[in-house]
Amino acid sequence: MNFRPRARHLRIVVQTLFLVSFMILFVGLAVERVPGRVASILLSLDPLTAVGTALADWTIPAWTWIGLVILAATAVLGRFFCGWICPLGTLQQLVSWIAGPERRKRNKINRYRRWFSLKYVILTVILVWAALGADHAGWLDPIPLLHRAVASGVRPLWFGGITPGGWVAFGMLAAILLLSAWMPRFYCRAICPLGALLGVTARLAPLRIRRTGTNACSGCTLCLMACQGADEPLDNHRVSECHVCLNCLPSCAEDSLKFGLPVVGSGSSTPPLDVGRRRFLVTAVATAAIAPVLRATGGGEARTADAIRPPGALDESSFLARCITCGACSASCPTNVIVSDIGTTGVEGFFTPILKMRRGWCEPSCTRCGDVCPTGALTVVTPEAKQAVGGPAEVTIGTAFLDRGRCLPWGMATPCIVCEEMCPTSPKAIWLEPAEVRARDGRTVKVQQPFVDPELCTGCGLCENRCPVGEKAAIRVSSVGESRDPGNRMLSRRSEVGRSEDST
Amino acid sequence: MKEPRPDIDSSPTLGRRDLLKTWGPAALAGAAITALGAGLGGRPGRHQRRDSAAGQPPPDWRIDPSSPGRVAIAGGEGPRANLGRALAAMGGIDRFISRGDRVAVKPNCAWDRTAEQAANTDPELIGELVRLCLAAGAGSVVVLDNTCHDPARAFARSGIAEATRAAGGAVAHQNSTGTVKLDLGGVVLGEWEVLQPIVEADKLINVPVVKHHSLGRGTLGMKNWMGAIVGGRPGLHQRINQACAELGDAFRPTLTVIDATRVLTGGGPTGGSLDLVRPDDLVAVATDPVAADTWGATLLDFSPAELPYLAIAERLGLGTTDWQSVATKV
Repeated sequence: MNFRPRARHLRIVVQTLFLVSFMILFVGLAVERVPGRVASILLSLDPLTAVGTALADWTIPAWTWIGLVILAATAVLGRFFCGWICPLGTLQQLVSWIAGPERRKRNKINRYRRWFSLKYVILTVILVWAALGADHAGWLDPIPLLHRAVASGVRPLWFGGITPGGWVAFGMLAAILLLSAWMPRFYCRAICPLGALLGVTARLAPLRIRRTGTNACSGCTLCLMACQGADEPLDNHRVSECHVCLNCLPSCAEDSLKFGLPVVGSGSSTPPLDVGRRRFLVTAVATAAIAPVLRATGGGEARTADAIRPPGALDESSFLARCITCGACSASCPTNVIVSDIGTTGVEGFFTPILKMRRGWCEPSCTRCGDVCPTGALTVVTPEAKQAVGGPAEVTIGTAFLDRGRCLPWGMATPCIVCEEMCPTSPKAIWLEPAEVRARDGRTVKVQQPFVDPELCTGCGLCENRCPVGEKAAIRVSSVGESRDPGNRMLSRRSEVGRSEDST
Repeated sequence: MKEPRPDIDSSPTLGRRDLLKTWGPAALAGAAITALGAGLGGRPGRHQRRDSAAGQPPPDWRIDPSSPGRVAIAGGEGPRANLGRALAAMGGIDRFISRGDRVAVKPNCAWDRTAEQAANTDPELIGELVRLCLAAGAGSVVVLDNTCHDPARAFARSGIAEATRAAGGAVAHQNSTGTVKLDLGGVVLGEWEVLQPIVEADKLINVPVVKHHSLGRGTLGMKNWMGAIVGGRPGLHQRINQACAELGDAFRPTLTVIDATRVLTGGGPTGGSLDLVRPDDLVAVATDPVAADTWGATLLDFSPAELPYLAIAERLGLGTTDWQSVATKV
């Protein structure tokens, strides 16, 4: 058997490298020694991350400019990102290679279909919505989608337990992989908004699959057998669909396909996208009409007690303009307190990170979630800013409240000091007052009853996490007092301790 | 006859035009993407943290900040005559109002209560003050408050809207006018939205009513500035004394006119029962807001020590609590 090295062999090596590095970097999210931005660099490679934040927030934060380099390269080379880099694409390719349709049926399943243009409609919705201030590209963008599915759907099998948001995120990944057993790269062809963005850009590419003028096409359809993008190299090649996998080159019976510049004298034309101007306009207008309604379901300015965002989060509307719901923060959290939300923060908050204190707590010395966030929706904070030592903390995520009916010393005449014992601030935000309470049998029981100082409480949730009162703690954190939103507060102003001149 | 140009047609190699057609779009797209990245890269974003747009400090509306303040007290002849005599003792309205001034008058008009119930400033006094300002050549007089009850009802029931309009002035409240963000400074205040006509006014006159308050014990001039700001005001009541003194520090009015025509001695700040209203028939005009409030406190039988904000205000250098040393009775 003689092995002839071809371009696609190089592609397979590159794909493998990126899939393996996705897995290594994912684990690295939780390893403090790996710099945070390096651990999340695959998310920064994603051009849709940069384009979405540029539209929603007029900024290209942190390392997301790398995505623009990919986008510019796409204008020369075509959708090489899809065929060579995207780990979700590689996974689908693996699935269809192992469990896909049999080889002789592939020339039918790999034909182009008009409904593949659905992805351009989805891209339009995402970009219009982003221009209105909410970047939801991450819901369907394959890189955040894969990160999220692994972070909140697979990782919790070992750490912390799965949540509804995790089930849905994992379900999306499972559905994508199952569908790719029916049609190779179904998601890339019909749904993927990143593929659509790259596809539109690829129409400019001078380098693409071309038919050489000398040899004719016999219509054998061998090129379709291994085609990933359903771009029909035998006919009028659809460069916007092509993943540059280069499988077609050696398959051609007439040896008349090449990847390169136009051949002199051959008048090849590219078919238009199957999204007419009217469909584009209707989609854009409908999105603009629906977006405010979805914001009214609880996103943006609405404040919810349980919507406790990770430390360093921007205020809610800025946060929604930046968060791509990749789940890097939850994958990086040492206590697994961060989950992908469904239901607490409205439709716009789907998959955004919130803290569930019964799973974990926000460790005062840890700033990992802000370090790994690729878009700066969570800003980088210092451990000192999170710690209330000698006075109120600069960065707080909420305030703990006692539920005296559930609290053992307050409601059950039973001694307990766990929340005070756990409180990590200095001085402790939770303090105890000795009290003598009457038990039912008439005995006098000496207990210590806890109180919370709202100025010192950072909302870290360690008290709630350790409270011995069953499934619903007797001390619970709610979002009021979070430093990111000056409107969501109860104290008139966090004052520097000792500066007060108030004598009352 | 033109000769065909041999370098364009029938050339078997790539021509200049072909080259542009092939590479031009890619080059343009690359340039556009690079420009986008260079322009937007690392920008803080359009959604700024809300506290980042810093407000300006408020202006100073006093006419002669360097000279010590005074208080003139007049009584016994009804609000109009009392105001006239007290003003005359202070040097006359012409000393304070110049031709063309935009004047803002801040009564206490917080409640849907009648004048007789004494929860708001007396409308007759407000009407007379507006008339005097316009007679002194003021370009415009706006009577305004951020009311606690519905503003239209409060301004109508109190009689202040009618008295103001009859005298030629205009009425404004939180629903009818815009706000400007100012940095009021202090420990508890910080940045607040302030009713726009106040910020734009050349002269500012504070006209509180003397009354009992369930939280601050007594409410007088400095507490009255709560009606100048818009936002989460209830939060300020946690540290009411510090907040009142800081409001007095932020708003330095041209004049303070204390209305003790009727004094609400209990059930404040809203009152309601006429049994709690005492007809004192007094008006004080002051350029020292601390002395003015201290005098008002004596009508409620409070010593300065019982209203801690007075001591804080004195420490902040806003005036003296020794009101007798600067007051004249006329």
